[in-house]
Amino acid sequence: MATEARSAVRAARRSDLQALADLRMRFLGEVAHAEPRLRLLADARARTEQTLPVWMGQDDRILIVAEGEASGEDDAAAPIVGYAMGLFSTVPPVLRHTHVGEILEIYVLPDVRGKGLAGALLDVLTEALTGRGAEVLRAAAPIAGNADVARIERAGYQPLQYVLERRLDTV
Amino acid sequence: MEGVPIRNARRGDIPSLLLLWNAMMKEISATDSRFALHARAQEHQTAQFQRWLQDEKHLIVVAEEGGRLITGFAIASVTAGNGWQIPVRVGRISDIYVAAPRRRQGVARRLTGRLLDLLYETGVGTVRLSVAVGNDGAHAFWRSMGWDDLEVVLQKGVEPGQETAPGA
Repeated sequence: MATEARSAVRAARRSDLQALADLRMRFLGEVAHAEPRLRLLADARARTEQTLPVWMGQDDRILIVAEGEASGEDDAAAPIVGYAMGLFSTVPPVLRHTHVGEILEIYVLPDVRGKGLAGALLDVLTEALTGRGAEVLRAAAPIAGNADVARIERAGYQPLQYVLERRLDTV
Repeated sequence: MEGVPIRNARRGDIPSLLLLWNAMMKEISATDSRFALHARAQEHQTAQFQRWLQDEKHLIVVAEEGGRLITGFAIASVTAGNGWQIPVRVGRISDIYVAAPRRRQGVARRLTGRLLDLLYETGVGTVRLSVAVGNDGAHAFWRSMGWDDLEVVLQKGVEPGQETAPGA
């Protein structure tokens, strides 16, 4: 299943932009549902549609998609059922490793989960960031979405830091 | 109880700030090698302190004993949110440290209180900070102050066995 899932992953193309925007809003919506402190701003959709084409043109950003099965109709393109985004950064010289690969987002539609697509997206993204020169890879996940944390840990990542939050109107 | 005075940092505090920052990083990296410092960290941090003290988006406060001895410091900044999720602006506490002999005297609470007051004055409604996973004392401290876990940051070294989490 892992090989099959991996073969469904490819680099995103301009023609994927609309599907990517839809998937990203579903991803952000699921995060907001699990963690209300990360709920969406009113113009999140518009910002996503503006920003995705910019991201796609950036050398330090990696956008990949997972294709589902084509419908079988002539010339029917395989639908995009998942995506992942990463960023390669050179950070200031505070900690020893300054070339950091960040796993920013990974999402697979609910009805195709359990087929290894999220793991394949993570593997391909990890390899792409490593190929750019990343010395360490980092991924942040809401505590409330602990399934994401478990998947990332299975890929060899280990907890580094907790991010805590406080509202100032409760001080 | 009257505590040690807390005040905004000044340029003349930079040598003391660097000493305390080094002590803080030494403590953190002693328990987790993933926080080992870069060879140019000193040089970089000196420049950072100089920049931050002139930048209104950075707030640095210090605890000063007897009008001359800096025994703790805390740093925060105000940044834009990510653009899709709340908050629109967020305060971030990046560093807080109290010299070991001065702990358990409420200095960290006072430093935090002053920073939160200053952040509130900037109009920020949400503040975030990070705690290393092995630093159970700090994690418990922040939770006792009303902070809640939001996210976990995970890391993987590229080379096999390059770095591991404490206790892994």
